[in-house]
Amino acid sequence: MPVVKALTGNESAAHGAALARPDLIAAYPITPQSSVVENLAQMLADGKLSCEMVEVESEHSAMSVIQGAALAGARTFTATSAQGLALMYEPYFRMSTLRLPMVMAVAGREMTSPETIWGGQQDTVSLREAGWIQFYVEDNQEILDTVIQGYKVAEHQGVLLPVNVCYDGFFLSHLTEGVEIPDQEQVDSFLPQYRPQHVILDPQRPMAVDPMTPGNLLMKYRRNHLEAMQTALRVIDEIDADFYRVFGRRYGGTIEEYRLEGADAVLVTIGSMTGAAREVVDLLRDQGKKVGLVKVRVLRPFPLKRIVRALRSAKAIGVVDRSVSFGWNSGALFQEVLAALGSQGMVMPAVSFIGGLGGADISNDHMLKALTTVLEVSANQAAEQETVWLD
Amino acid sequence: MTSTWISPTGDEGIYQIDTGKWRTFRPVINRDRCTNCKLCGYYCPVSSIKLSNQQQVHIDLSYCKGCAICATECPRGAIDMVREGEE
Amino acid sequence: MNLQEVFYGAEDLISPGLSACPGCAGELTMRTVMKIMGKNTILGVPPGCMAGAGVVGWNRLSGAKVPITIPLLDNTASMLAGIRRYYQSQGRNDVRVVAFAGDGATADAGFQALSGAAERGENIIYICYDNEGYMNTGFQRSGTSSKGSNTSTTPVGAMRKGKAQHKKDLPLLLAMHNAAYVATVSPAYVQDFVRKIEKAKEVTCGLAYIHVLSPCPTGWWFDPKDTIKLARLAVQTNFFPLYEYEDGRFYQTVSVKQAKPVQEFVSRLGKFKHLDQEAIADLQQWTDRRANLLQRLCAESPA
Ligand SMILES: Cc1ncc(C[n+]2csc(CCOP(=O)(O)OP(=O)(O)O)c2C)c(N)n1
Ligand code: SF4
Repeated sequence: MPVVKALTGNESAAHGAALARPDLIAAYPITPQSSVVENLAQMLADGKLSCEMVEVESEHSAMSVIQGAALAGARTFTATSAQGLALMYEPYFRMSTLRLPMVMAVAGREMTSPETIWGGQQDTVSLREAGWIQFYVEDNQEILDTVIQGYKVAEHQGVLLPVNVCYDGFFLSHLTEGVEIPDQEQVDSFLPQYRPQHVILDPQRPMAVDPMTPGNLLMKYRRNHLEAMQTALRVIDEIDADFYRVFGRRYGGTIEEYRLEGADAVLVTIGSMTGAAREVVDLLRDQGKKVGLVKVRVLRPFPLKRIVRALRSAKAIGVVDRSVSFGWNSGALFQEVLAALGSQGMVMPAVSFIGGLGGADISNDHMLKALTTVLEVSANQAAEQETVWLD
Repeated sequence: MTSTWISPTGDEGIYQIDTGKWRTFRPVINRDRCTNCKLCGYYCPVSSIKLSNQQQVHIDLSYCKGCAICATECPRGAIDMVREGEE
Repeated sequence: MNLQEVFYGAEDLISPGLSACPGCAGELTMRTVMKIMGKNTILGVPPGCMAGAGVVGWNRLSGAKVPITIPLLDNTASMLAGIRRYYQSQGRNDVRVVAFAGDGATADAGFQALSGAAERGENIIYICYDNEGYMNTGFQRSGTSSKGSNTSTTPVGAMRKGKAQHKKDLPLLLAMHNAAYVATVSPAYVQDFVRKIEKAKEVTCGLAYIHVLSPCPTGWWFDPKDTIKLARLAVQTNFFPLYEYEDGRFYQTVSVKQAKPVQEFVSRLGKFKHLDQEAIADLQQWTDRRANLLQRLCAESPA
């Protein structure tokens, strides 16, 4: 029987990982992630989990040990944040381009400098061009569920890519909520054993992994990688629907649309800030205002078609980022959404909001300010907009 | 296994460079001096020194780069380096 | 295996045609090691001359007859540890996992990963071919280049005379990590070489580390025919002593009764051509000091 427990975000990630029965875990401590792996280590010590655990000397080695194990056929798990992710970059990029499925939880943290240990999404957002699938989740239940969904997506034969489950450091990693922990048997039936067919290091089937490859062939691999990403858009939606049938919970797949009926002003959010946005949408809807919300759950691959469809009848939009795009004087998600709309010939006033960096809160007041601004813009249709800082 | 073009793998055969073409000198065993002690084969970087069915050392020139280590190490001076194209 | 079995009987598991330079001791060592390791082996060769020579392969072809991969320059020990851990967890302990890495990948960029793996006792066999520099990228200095080496990043000119520091002592460092087995080997001492690789092959608990001094005709500037001669001279001058470390004890495996002056080794190498008597005396002193240290370490161990 599933049980409901009070769990922090990090505990939720650990439970999700344990339920997926990994063969090998390797990780290195960093705030705010550390307790993910501490929890798994305790489960192992208590005999509640059975797998290889490698207490590596750095995140670079965490990803490297995992890469080796994955090439030998293992299902693997790790977790990290900010500086740890940055140190991993070299094997991180390689994990996706070697097409090795896995799930890595990231308790999002701002990138130093200024020196900081607090929440932000700059760490993972900055790595959105490293070939991984990136989920951004809203609450602790979604963390646990997305880790399980993540393995199913990653190991899908049409996908075969690693998955990040990103959740806001401290806001979720250290926040306690009631979380339903599914049955092991249920998870086992949802997530069958994984055996790689496309690549293996095994004397029983000798092959070279990563021989020197000239550009014309390299492009073939890249092209397939890009296509797998597009396939993943569909697969993520399907797996979310499958998940609902087994566990009774769903998250909309790549995006979630909230109260979009007849909405003139729509906010686009990512991660835990979505909670505040929902409340503000409800508040303004109660006042008769035509407002709605789109939560981007998957940043990579970018759900272009669904986002465009969701936003097509809006008169103005606002995008709230917990990260910046250096050189664009705006948030990163803002640029992505604009690119999506523009690619379909859609032009509408759009405002970039940046807030919540380095552990700062994005409050209901901030969201109210943002949505009110978008409402005003939708009314007066002013074309050019300054970036608004929610500080 | 046929190519899937998913992960970069090499499983369609062995990659070989025609290093035999590099040689300017080739090693030639002087049978009068060779005692068949087999030392030369311990030092050949390309594993080109082999045993015949009669358990005699001989040099397979297919991949020999002509480094002359065998000629230098032979305790009897039984291997001569001969310029390619000469007898 | 006796020598004839290794060198004339065992299958060469490496592609017969690799583009390593003529007379390369690295190529010789890699082929020999794999003849001893056998087919049930997974080989990791990080960026460096051996990978550059094609042992990992070219587009859809492999450069070896065993499963092989190219780790990153800096993660060989971790990546191979992951492979080995998985095989252990599956009960397939017979699958050996072997690294064949240059000194740069071992002593410099990859040292943290190697240190971690040795400390954790990862059951991999790590072989470092030490050609005293980053050869594949054009003969740059590495942490194991000898003092005075003329390299492309420590060139000789009016003001500077090659590398300013002495060589980093990797095998001793690994012994100080309590690795399960540590040995230095030379391609010139074949019997000793084969025995130590076989020993490393049988280590089932902890990390086995083998350090081979690998004369490099191209980077050291000498005639390829002299590769083995120079490997031998390095031992005979005590420049590269042959020993092993096991269960906390050191053993000298090839004893040098009357060591030749280091000058005999140094003067044959183009990369040391510019050294004056003072610089050579410095190398001699460094060599003596290390030989002395090793002697004392070995004296602490029963014969
Ligand atoms: C992180 C990283 N930095 C730099 C390089 C470039 N690089 C490739 S091979 C090499 C030198 C390797 O030297 P070594 O390990 O001594 O092997 P050798 O070439 O001497 O055989 C370098 C610096 C790299 N591959 N990765
Ligand atoms: S440069 Fe030196 S180590 Fe590299 S292949 Fe040539 S001889 Fe061997």
